[in-house]
Amino acid sequence: MRARDRPAHGAAVFSVLRKGIADKLQADKRRRSLRPILSAYRPEACQPGFMNTRALLEGLRFVDSFFPSGGYAFSSGLEAAVQGGAVKDSDQLGRYVEDLLRGGMSRREVLAAKIANRAGATGVVAPAIEVDRDLEAMKIGRESRAASRQMGRQVLKVAADQLRDKPVVEAYRDAVEADRTPGHLAVSFGLTLGACGWDAQETAAAFLYQTSVGFVSAGMRLSPLGQFEGQRVLGEWLPLIDRISREVDEGMPMSSWSPIQDIYTMRHGRLEWRLFRS
Amino acid sequence: MIAEPVSVPRKKKHVQDVLTRSVGRVGRLRLHYATRDGRTIIARSHCTSPWHLLPPIYLDDTGAAYTLLVNPSGGLVGGDHLSIDMKVDEGAHVLISAPSANRVYRSLGEVSAQDIDLAVGPGAIVEWLPEHTIPFAGSRFRQKLHATLAPGATILLWDAIASGRIARGERWAFATLENDIRITTASGSGLLERYALDPSTNLGAIGLAAGWDYVASLYVVNDAITPEVWSRLETRIGLALDEQSEHILGGVSQPAVPGVAVKLLAKSAPDLTKMLDALWAAVRAELWNLPPVAWRKY
Repeated sequence: MRARDRPAHGAAVFSVLRKGIADKLQADKRRRSLRPILSAYRPEACQPGFMNTRALLEGLRFVDSFFPSGGYAFSSGLEAAVQGGAVKDSDQLGRYVEDLLRGGMSRREVLAAKIANRAGATGVVAPAIEVDRDLEAMKIGRESRAASRQMGRQVLKVAADQLRDKPVVEAYRDAVEADRTPGHLAVSFGLTLGACGWDAQETAAAFLYQTSVGFVSAGMRLSPLGQFEGQRVLGEWLPLIDRISREVDEGMPMSSWSPIQDIYTMRHGRLEWRLFRS
Repeated sequence: MIAEPVSVPRKKKHVQDVLTRSVGRVGRLRLHYATRDGRTIIARSHCTSPWHLLPPIYLDDTGAAYTLLVNPSGGLVGGDHLSIDMKVDEGAHVLISAPSANRVYRSLGEVSAQDIDLAVGPGAIVEWLPEHTIPFAGSRFRQKLHATLAPGATILLWDAIASGRIARGERWAFATLENDIRITTASGSGLLERYALDPSTNLGAIGLAAGWDYVASLYVVNDAITPEVWSRLETRIGLALDEQSEHILGGVSQPAVPGVAVKLLAKSAPDLTKMLDALWAAVRAELWNLPPVAWRKY
């Protein structure tokens, strides 16, 4: 091959460089065009103090269904609703749980979790104890009260052991063990995630998500709901979970309106055969 | 010709607000029950309009005083603030009801409020069985009922709301409805029912309960009664609820204080009344071995 037929080495280098520069410019352009969208979607991501990876991982353990809270044994009245004919398919399950999350739990458990989150974050345990007692007074069904207390104690047991640098967790655990406060799940969970560095809205969303997963899991055992359908139902609840976790304001008085779900929770103890403990 | 939109002058709106505010009345009813010669009597009382106080009547030979809460104005308008302060001395037995449903009229802005404070002395009994509340379309109602129990005191508390004027096809059309019921025992522990409904908001929606027309609660609390008695009463009420399961959806359980709690939904007023009669009979039989009394109000 003659020398003039070979590609010049300098030209090849220039070509590579030119492509690299063009790619970089293209990437910068794409990033610039996406910036407003990203910013609008997750404005927190641009703010200092957004949950860091360590805090995320610390808290995730308590949200994960792998966590030994014993939640698999409770259906929160869903079993009675299925046996009573109120929930027969995935659509009815969807409406039943949405109604409970919005009317029954938003200004009761979610409110309690948010207040407890502040207590966990600030290290002042008194507000958590106060809201815990209100929760006890408001949960009139014996089984649902016992279930909430049992799961709450499981969260506290692990949290007090693992988060030793957070005295607020230990203080609350001591109050529960001394029977000075009942130790409901929403409060234990909120306080723990607050101590882990999660903010109130993230904690509320995590609590609702965990509750929703529990309902899907119970629904799959109580009705012909498949894995795929379960994920569809769970996905449909996410916008509501997002909305509730934003709308519930810690300054609201505790309240709850879900008479149908309350009644099925109360009826559970009288079922002839039971798969769940609530 | 297309009509120009009419703008409401600010002054006119202001006048309307003032007029609405001026409608409300502040009515107070104070009742102090004591015992004398084996009977419960009203030892002291005070009432201002629109409350009207009738002397107690005695429907059986137990000496229990039966009092009707009479509001001759027919209901509450926006801006009304009615209150009841009731003190019941040791060992007294009081039955409270009303001659008709508690109607809450439409309000353009002001809330119709009703605050009730019950202080029940040691070993005393209050059976609080008013007629249900009917919140009209556009009404704004807020009820606060707090009962404080001394050791051994009993409260039997019934509270019911209708969805509206059902015969007119008016259902769940009120503007706001808040209900706050708290029963506190001598130990300081309590039972709390509180809801805040506002159908125009996400969190205040009526939801699935909109398929029913009456929502009611019954609470019976006494810190001196043994768990065995409450368990028997719970079973008895559970059976009564099951017997009417075609028309009623109801549940019974034991709250965080010694007692029983019942929640129920009904489709019609006769179903609700029939259920209340059955529940009341079960409680009186189990706790005091007494039959229900005839109200003499219809």
